[in-house]
Amino acid sequence: MLEEALAMSAADHTEVLLEATRGSLTRFANNQIHQSVTAENHVLTLRATVGRRSGMASTNRLDSSALRQVADRALALARLSPEDPELPEPAPAAEPPALEAFVAATAASDPEGRAAAVGPVLEAAAASGFEAAGALSASSAAIAIANTRGLFAYQPETSARFTCTVYGGDSSGWVDRHRRDLPALDTERLGRIAVDKAERSRDPSPFEPGPTTVVLEPSAVAELVSFLAVLGLGAQSEQEGRSFLAGRIGERITGERVTLVDDAYDPRGFGRPFDFEGTPRRRVTTIERGIARAVVHDRRTAARAGVESTGHAGHPPATEGPLPASLVLEPGDLSLEDLIASTARGVLVTRFWYNRVVDPRRTLITGMTRDGTFLIEDGRIVRGVRNLRFNESVLGVLERAEAWGREAEPTVFDDAGLCVVAPALKVRDFCFTGVSPS
Amino acid sequence: MDDVIDRALNGAELAGAGYADVRVVEARDQMIEVKNRRVSALQEGASSGIGVRVLVDGAWGFAAAAELSGAAAESAARLACRVARAAARHRREPVVLAPLPAVTARYATPVTVDPFDVPLADKIALLQEATAALEREPAVKVARGGMQFWEERKRFASTAGARIEQKVVHSGAGIAAWAVGPDDVQVRSYPNSFGGHYEAAGYELITRLDLRGHAAETAATAAALLAAPPCPAGETTVILDGSQMSLQIHESCGHPTELDRALGHEANFAGTSFLAPDQLGALRYGSACVSIVADATAPRGLGTFGFDDEGVPAQKVDLVRAGRFVGFLTSRETAGRLGQTSNGTMRAESWSCIPLIRMTNINLEPGTWTLDDLLADTDDGILMATNRSWSIDDKRYNFQFGTEVGWEIRHGRRGRLLKNCTYTGITPDFWNRCDAVCDISDWEIWGTPNCGKGQPMQVMRTAQGASSARFRGVQVGVGYGR
Repeated sequence: MLEEALAMSAADHTEVLLEATRGSLTRFANNQIHQSVTAENHVLTLRATVGRRSGMASTNRLDSSALRQVADRALALARLSPEDPELPEPAPAAEPPALEAFVAATAASDPEGRAAAVGPVLEAAAASGFEAAGALSASSAAIAIANTRGLFAYQPETSARFTCTVYGGDSSGWVDRHRRDLPALDTERLGRIAVDKAERSRDPSPFEPGPTTVVLEPSAVAELVSFLAVLGLGAQSEQEGRSFLAGRIGERITGERVTLVDDAYDPRGFGRPFDFEGTPRRRVTTIERGIARAVVHDRRTAARAGVESTGHAGHPPATEGPLPASLVLEPGDLSLEDLIASTARGVLVTRFWYNRVVDPRRTLITGMTRDGTFLIEDGRIVRGVRNLRFNESVLGVLERAEAWGREAEPTVFDDAGLCVVAPALKVRDFCFTGVSPS
Repeated sequence: MDDVIDRALNGAELAGAGYADVRVVEARDQMIEVKNRRVSALQEGASSGIGVRVLVDGAWGFAAAAELSGAAAESAARLACRVARAAARHRREPVVLAPLPAVTARYATPVTVDPFDVPLADKIALLQEATAALEREPAVKVARGGMQFWEERKRFASTAGARIEQKVVHSGAGIAAWAVGPDDVQVRSYPNSFGGHYEAAGYELITRLDLRGHAAETAATAAALLAAPPCPAGETTVILDGSQMSLQIHESCGHPTELDRALGHEANFAGTSFLAPDQLGALRYGSACVSIVADATAPRGLGTFGFDDEGVPAQKVDLVRAGRFVGFLTSRETAGRLGQTSNGTMRAESWSCIPLIRMTNINLEPGTWTLDDLLADTDDGILMATNRSWSIDDKRYNFQFGTEVGWEIRHGRRGRLLKNCTYTGITPDFWNRCDAVCDISDWEIWGTPNCGKGQPMQVMRTAQGASSARFRGVQVGVGYGR
């Protein structure tokens, strides 16, 4: 099909991206399954280049007539487009490293199996007097890219996720796990984590906002680290001077303990061995022992910088330029229990919610705690506390991290095409600025 | 296409559905972005498919397929029934739908100039000229302009006899300038952030916005922000412009009045609500000058349509009347729980998604003040405009917003420009601090193109009508304390 689409194009160069997806999700709330869905789609995106002009069109009809239409439309758009002196050529043919990302059991997931996996979670929540809400999802995808320079790249992949909130009255607990392999998600065991958190956070007490020692679970750390991807680890924002890294490559920007690598090949992550230009992904160390080392590139920003693409072109039209896709924050050697046990007084945060940028250059973020916020005293969790608002610099948090967990969990940010593998952290003087009535 | 629809409905009934509805959607879109005069995105897309929703044994099932054929429609219907049957094993209470008369109807967004008929060269030229004007300001390092257009042709049919055809067109455009200093970056957008201003309209909206004519002032303000003093920290009077009011309404009134949230359906992702059905008619949500409606019939709004994705006609209903909480946004399933009929807010992002309760046009009714009179009546405070940052908790209580610009108000006059403006509050407390709302001369129906909800997450375009409003005793300057 890709060859047929390439053959239909009369452009100087043509690139074709085919994304075929099948997603199924069993959603539950109020201890019952309430919305279950399954959908299949396939989208073909064709970019035509004429001289230094390009245009792009996409369709989800894959018959010959539709392919002809999309090829003609992309060419027409290219001819109408102004010249772009920096327009890169399509990527040359390359052999991306093999990356096993497809699990047949995930692709074969059916509604009966997902309902059976969810059932015990609903029963456990009900038995404890709580309500459970969440989703068990399984998806499979095939991504293929070809161009008229002879490039062909193909990757089948699967992903599965179990996310569950257990709540009632004034407390709630949460668990969230992402895996390639659906059967690796032990929903019954995971559900008990959420029930336990809901039990332990009953009758939450107010907590006076201010600088506080916090223990952040991996998901909370991943939420913060994800902002570094969009605020400055991509070459476009760095070249525009907007990035927190602009002019600071080679300088120490955060704590000496901090190493942050974009690694599509980390087995815990959800990487793909090539980017949306078909370029093989490289492992890029963005921060090494607190020192800013590099940003990630696509073909345009690489040419501008006089370097080679690192294989981080974004999904078309990629208006934000190249971005990290598989960040891994180097873990430490302590368990989550060790982090809690070493805390005389502090707050344990299960997750952050509705996090948004306040000031991009300062990596300043605001957000709320949610679904499991606990007071730690004398190394023990003593009770739940009401949800807190924070305003924090991500680099500042990493600078003030005093202890590092050893278990790193992947968190997938679907809308950003990003996975962050992060450990738990203990951080001093974390800046809480407000408290919610709930 | 009638054959595809019939085979989906028949297939669902043969597979055991007590109720089924079908949406066949053909959509197209166009996106143009110019950055520093270079065309950084030029893309057109087309997508079509069928979504089948069924009730079997009192449980919902949904399946969608991209192929528009009778065989694919039947297959999707059978799969939806299988999905529903699996769900029914873990259903505590059967879904009961509020009654709805079946209708045969058509609707189309009123459009003066079809945006897909306007020559691409004209659109690119406009954006290049506007961004070139932004770049004339030396401090501006990134000058962006963009346009987006969407067209959706949708056929809805149900086993209850509904047959509805709709064509909805949305358009939007905007410009933004990023001024970069040695240790600071400031952005100024026109006419709004989030890529600009969006309406259910055609290219006449783009013409009306006059991007070229506003570029110089936009760039100059971005540059001036680099040298502006920061928003002070403390408690003061705040006047929010209409665009910021739009997001304030969206987050702290629109979402908490979604009845599916209040009933726990979104507890794992989008969250729940501080509002509960037993508070209807009783809770003092805001001051007496706060009246908010959900109006899917309002001209130009992104939440304007003929019928929702359950076939319920567009309506105008009260959410807050003179400060009192009086209504939820509902669906046929949730309205029945309150003994009501649906007020028609179910929408799906595309053919591949199940409909959810979504904001239509959530409009703060205009008050009686002109903005000039309101400023003149304010001795000391800050005027904040154009959202830059937004965050709110999962029950929609504790919020913090930031704006691109602010101005001191001293002795009834607009004073110095302020940067990094933020404010925070607790929703009902905040709305009870509202003591003035500006009149229709300051009112606009602002579009929000990126509202996320549901699992899998769906992005919906909604609108909020608002004029500027004043709030007393607001905590400002939060976030920059360290």
